[in-house]
Amino acid sequence: MPDLIAFTLLLAITAYSTAGGVDFGAGIWDLLAGGSRRGREARALIDHSMAPVWEVNNVWLVLAIVLCWTGFPLLFQTVFARLYPLFALALVGLILRGAFFAFRHIAEAPRAHRIADLVFGLSSLLTPFFFAASLGAIASGRLESFSLMSIAFGLVSLAATAFSGASFLVGDARRYGAIELVGYFRRRAVIAALALIAVGSAALITIGFEAPDLFRPMLAGKGFPFALVTMVLTPVVGFLLWRGVLRWYRVLTVAAVGSMVFAWAFAQSPYLVPGQLTIAQAVAPFSTQVLLLVVAAVVLLVIGPAMGVLYYLDQRSALESPET
Amino acid sequence: MTSALWLASEPALLPSRIQMAFTLASHVLLVPLGVALPSLTLLMEGIGLASKDPVALKIARRWSVVMAVQFAVGAVTGTILSFEFGILWPRMLGQFGGAFGLGFAIEAWAFFLEAIFIGIYLYGWERLRPRTHLLFGLVLPPAGLLGAFGVLASNSWMNTPAGTTLKAGKVVDVDVMAALFTRALGYEFWHFLIAIYMTAGFVVASVYAVAWLRGRRDHYQRLAFAVPFTVAAVLAPIQLVVGDLSARALVADQPSKFAAMEITWTTRDHNPEVIGGLIDANGDIHFGISVPSLDSLLVGYSPNAVVPGLTSVAANARPTIVEANITHLAFDLMVGLGSVGAALAVWHLWVLWRRRRPPESIWFYRLAALAGIGAYIAVETGWITTEVGRQPWIVFGVMRVADAVTTAPASFVWTMLTALVVIYALIAYFFVTLLLRLSARWRREDLNQPSEPEVGAPYGPRPRTFTA
Ligand code: HDD
Ligand code: HEM
Ligand code: HEM
Repeated sequence: MPDLIAFTLLLAITAYSTAGGVDFGAGIWDLLAGGSRRGREARALIDHSMAPVWEVNNVWLVLAIVLCWTGFPLLFQTVFARLYPLFALALVGLILRGAFFAFRHIAEAPRAHRIADLVFGLSSLLTPFFFAASLGAIASGRLESFSLMSIAFGLVSLAATAFSGASFLVGDARRYGAIELVGYFRRRAVIAALALIAVGSAALITIGFEAPDLFRPMLAGKGFPFALVTMVLTPVVGFLLWRGVLRWYRVLTVAAVGSMVFAWAFAQSPYLVPGQLTIAQAVAPFSTQVLLLVVAAVVLLVIGPAMGVLYYLDQRSALESPET
Repeated sequence: MTSALWLASEPALLPSRIQMAFTLASHVLLVPLGVALPSLTLLMEGIGLASKDPVALKIARRWSVVMAVQFAVGAVTGTILSFEFGILWPRMLGQFGGAFGLGFAIEAWAFFLEAIFIGIYLYGWERLRPRTHLLFGLVLPPAGLLGAFGVLASNSWMNTPAGTTLKAGKVVDVDVMAALFTRALGYEFWHFLIAIYMTAGFVVASVYAVAWLRGRRDHYQRLAFAVPFTVAAVLAPIQLVVGDLSARALVADQPSKFAAMEITWTTRDHNPEVIGGLIDANGDIHFGISVPSLDSLLVGYSPNAVVPGLTSVAANARPTIVEANITHLAFDLMVGLGSVGAALAVWHLWVLWRRRRPPESIWFYRLAALAGIGAYIAVETGWITTEVGRQPWIVFGVMRVADAVTTAPASFVWTMLTALVVIYALIAYFFVTLLLRLSARWRREDLNQPSEPEVGAPYGPRPRTFTA
């Protein structure tokens, strides 16, 4: 049962990395879209496709945190007592992002608008980087806020979010019938896929040197199947988008990014912090575990269909759009 | 005195307490509308559907836009809070997360539901059949309630901890039901629930009270004022009774908090009720009005009833003098505002009952315009009473705040606090500007041709096409 709780926690983290990642990625492309005039079209699309979903994505993060402190209090204490600088920076990014996303809708002066765009874009870099860096610090088993491992994980997350952001924006551009933007984001998705392959390989080498105990199961153990999926799918998606085969690419993007998170988690299981803390050591008392699973099960029964309805309505409203 | 000692031993304690208080106090400003506005909106939508009144439907739809913006800001500030527990109080979570956290485990899922259904509700306007739309909306109030229940369960556990078995300082077993349903939940939950519905009612109504004072008195304004104000007015007198029950329960549950609320120095009978006023380190009361024996009468219905004093608890286990004074003034302010609110409510209900219409006195509307702010202040002071009165405990009688605080350097916490204050100020500014813009636009539209109310709001449904 402790493993089941750990798996639930992993699912929440993965959901945040993929769904939230798409959002942050969009923010990164917003930052790179260029000056006010040049980036206007791209920004409008980014805005348009992000607005309805981002607060739902935030809930995944909250869920992960709450599951962590209720299910594994000792892990929560250990990690926060050491890595507080990373979390503080990520949080500042998160909240700036939320604030300035709203602000750019009310800013009237062009200068203010430009500043809002900038802060929004920069904070979209900050948040995924530092959240992922904390995972890197955990994976190294040494819990050092600023180390090669934390930086490597942070960089991978930037490439991964840029990749998933661009891939989903291709879909949104098609949905809203913005033909030029389809090509625009296709090119960017291909570049991001290449970047992800490069940064990912570099990170793998870093892991090999810094955390050999993690490296082995990642390439020849529990983590390997997932690592393999990532290594295969990322180029595949890149290729599909490059050739303009616009089918399946979004599902495959999610699978690629998601398996990356899985590869890390499975490689270090049964440890929560390699060498220091196992799942069995950190888990909360039995009855707490039962409650966590019961609540999760009940709510999933409700949330599943509810998500379905939301998705259905979202798609239906798009179908009614005159452009498509 | 004791707090000076801690400050020396735990340098991060002071900024951590300030940061926690600041972020919680900000978040809780969003909670009343977050939890209760959906109900008011649905009520208005229901009225609109039942009486085929397009104006009521328009009001409901506009409120739902406010709801979405509100929810988004609540989500961000709430996320900060959940991280703060780890950043500021890692030792409390490490030790008691398995019990304290239960409520939040429920809360997180509840907000998940709420987020999804707010999405559906907003998308659904004019896309779903009216009845279906209302039906989907009906998920929102219970989801909000479940969330509030979760948070309150956690907070009540901090006040009257129960359900944990400790062995060598480690929690080895948790009785889930006992940890969720602690004694304090019995009064905190109901008192808080009424507080947020009351607040939402007064706040929404106060917007239209201002409009009334400015001379806009058509059907739209009347309806948008009368419905929320009536909801609040029904609850306000009940709140006095429930609040009184809370206070009475504290005599047994947290005598040191009760003594601080009433600034009683020694345990005694014939205890006076001090209204306003401050206590000093010798137990002498300055300023304020003292009503002989009233406190004893309120607690035990007899002047002979014995009331606990601060000195009944060891000096290092009770609030300091400064904390006691803060608790006392906060408590008095809450009770005072609650009483004024109840009086206003009775005025409204009386006229409504006798004349079948809201009062028309300009003074009534002046007070009603202030009622929104008053309710927010009552909520804040209520929390200050609860939280400051609990000092020096983070988990009452079990763990001290000083033993829970982070080992991070004080400079780190001060820096983070500063950053948060600046960012929250920005958010508050954006938030208010946004709401003012929306309201100004809606007013313009009422004069000209209408468009969809969501235009210009950063969150919520998009139009079906987008233009760069
Ligand atoms: C509209 C808001 C409002 C109003 C009018 C009142 N209260 Fe209140 N009060 C709250 C809003 C609130 C609150 C913010 O909701 C608190 C904070 C914690 C809680 O559970 O409720 C609270 C806490 C609180 C506590 C502390 C409970 C604890 O520490 O566990 C007491 C003793 C009272 N209240 C008593 C009263 C009395 C005697 C009132 C009126 C005569 C009153 N309240 C009016
Ligand atoms: C939402 C309204 C709330 C407000 C305005 C509020 C206010 C405060 C204040 C003023 C303090 C500082 C006390 C002091 O240092 O003297 C504090 C501390 C604290 N509160 Fe609350 N509180 C609220 C609700 C909650 C809830 C719901 C929880 C948890 C479930 C909580 C947990 C804490 C913790 C952990 C501390 C720090 C330790 C301490 O100083 O006691 N608070 N809060
Ligand atoms: C008085 C107690 C509290 C109540 C009733 C409450 C209620 C709410 C509500 C209604 C929301 C949704 C946003 C909105 O509708 O405005 C929200 C968001 C949130 N609150 Fe609070 N809150 C309280 C205190 C706290 C505390 C102490 C925490 C600390 C963990 C917290 C954590 C959160 C989180 C994480 C969210 C975001 C959830 C999401 O993304 O939807 N809340 N809260």
